[in-house]
Amino acid sequence: MHELDLDIISPEKKVYSGKVKSVTIPGTKGNFQVLFNHAPLISTFELGIIKVGLPGDSTRIFTTSGGSAEILDNKVLLLSDTIEAVENIDLERALKSKVRAEERLTNKSGSIDFDRARASLAKAMNRIKAVEKYSTLKKDIPI
Amino acid sequence: MATLRDIKSRIKGVKSTQQITKAMKMVAAAKLRRAQENVVNARPYARKIWQLLSRLANENDLNTNPFFVQREVKNVAYVIVTADRGLCGAFNSNIIKEAVRNINEDLNNDSLNVHLFCVGKKGFDFFSKRNFNLYGKNLGLFSSLKYSEALDISQKIISAYLDGTFDKVIIIYNEFKSIIQQKIVVEQFLPITLITERSEKKNEPNYIYEPNQKSIFDYMLPKHLRAQIWRILLESNASELGARMTAMDNASTNAKELIRTLQLKYNKERQAAITKELLEIVAGANALKAS
Repeated sequence: MHELDLDIISPEKKVYSGKVKSVTIPGTKGNFQVLFNHAPLISTFELGIIKVGLPGDSTRIFTTSGGSAEILDNKVLLLSDTIEAVENIDLERALKSKVRAEERLTNKSGSIDFDRARASLAKAMNRIKAVEKYSTLKKDIPI
Repeated sequence: MATLRDIKSRIKGVKSTQQITKAMKMVAAAKLRRAQENVVNARPYARKIWQLLSRLANENDLNTNPFFVQREVKNVAYVIVTADRGLCGAFNSNIIKEAVRNINEDLNNDSLNVHLFCVGKKGFDFFSKRNFNLYGKNLGLFSSLKYSEALDISQKIISAYLDGTFDKVIIIYNEFKSIIQQKIVVEQFLPITLITERSEKKNEPNYIYEPNQKSIFDYMLPKHLRAQIWRILLESNASELGARMTAMDNASTNAKELIRTLQLKYNKERQAAITKELLEIVAGANALKAS
């Protein structure tokens, strides 16, 4: 069986652990896909969507704010500060934080930290996009 | 001499205190279980990051990397992690005592400036009333501990370290040993004293680094520091709950003992009163008979 061991770890918990067929990662130098017998690799990745191909052609989608990936001997280890499965995303919260971030960026009153507002806007957009695009997959996902 | 009514009301008071301490113990025990889980859950992340870092570490980079370079120390920062709330035995006072001892040692040295960063309300209450140089604080975070708190704290500390406000950062916190045991740890946070397990380096697979070794290292390093802070917060939280649980357990036992002795005293008093009354009646009857 051409399968990989995937572990996704965030500081708060183990998000995912199990056998997979492929992992698509939004790497710093561009998206890349990890399949069976990938060369050893250590890479960072950016804000985006991680696609995990499970045995039996179903897919799981995760959103992440960036982190690091290590690939060795068909083991994939993803470390990220925030990473969550698309079905766990709180769409309402994402929409709210999008509105909040946009407000902050338009109201240019002194004390606001622009980088942070921009980052949280990007994160919210990422989540919303992921839900819109992939939430139809929900029924395929074994919970 | 306490009257029967006094003793009775005291028993009632102690009983209601006992109820409170019992309830607090239960609450702490329930929270402690979750806190312990969190400590365990945070371990793999911290460990993996550390492994990656020691693999990526490169002798030359370390000598120039600001997080590792030992500067001449003029400004020391103490990060003191206490609880937000009391009623947890000597938990807070122990850590404050240890902090004061360390700080006083440094204060004796005239060329040193000491800054304090208080995490948790109890430490802040103590140090803000005294003549200490308070740099920053994060209070009220333990009731619902989130990773973003660790982010926030580490951001403040790291930026102050990098712009030269501090040359050395020391964290004082309680490590979670077991439910009944906490250990005070005084740990140097920055500059990082370190690292690489050389033995591991020999049979290294030939990694591809993307974008490159150094930039991954620089990217991972702040994450490692954040994970450290996160771990410390979780440890301290679990310790606090453990300490509260034991303290409240002791309090409940003491209350039980107190109630027992009070009850005994009450019974004795009551018996004495009855005997006295009987004697009076008998004496009265005898007096009547005699006349």
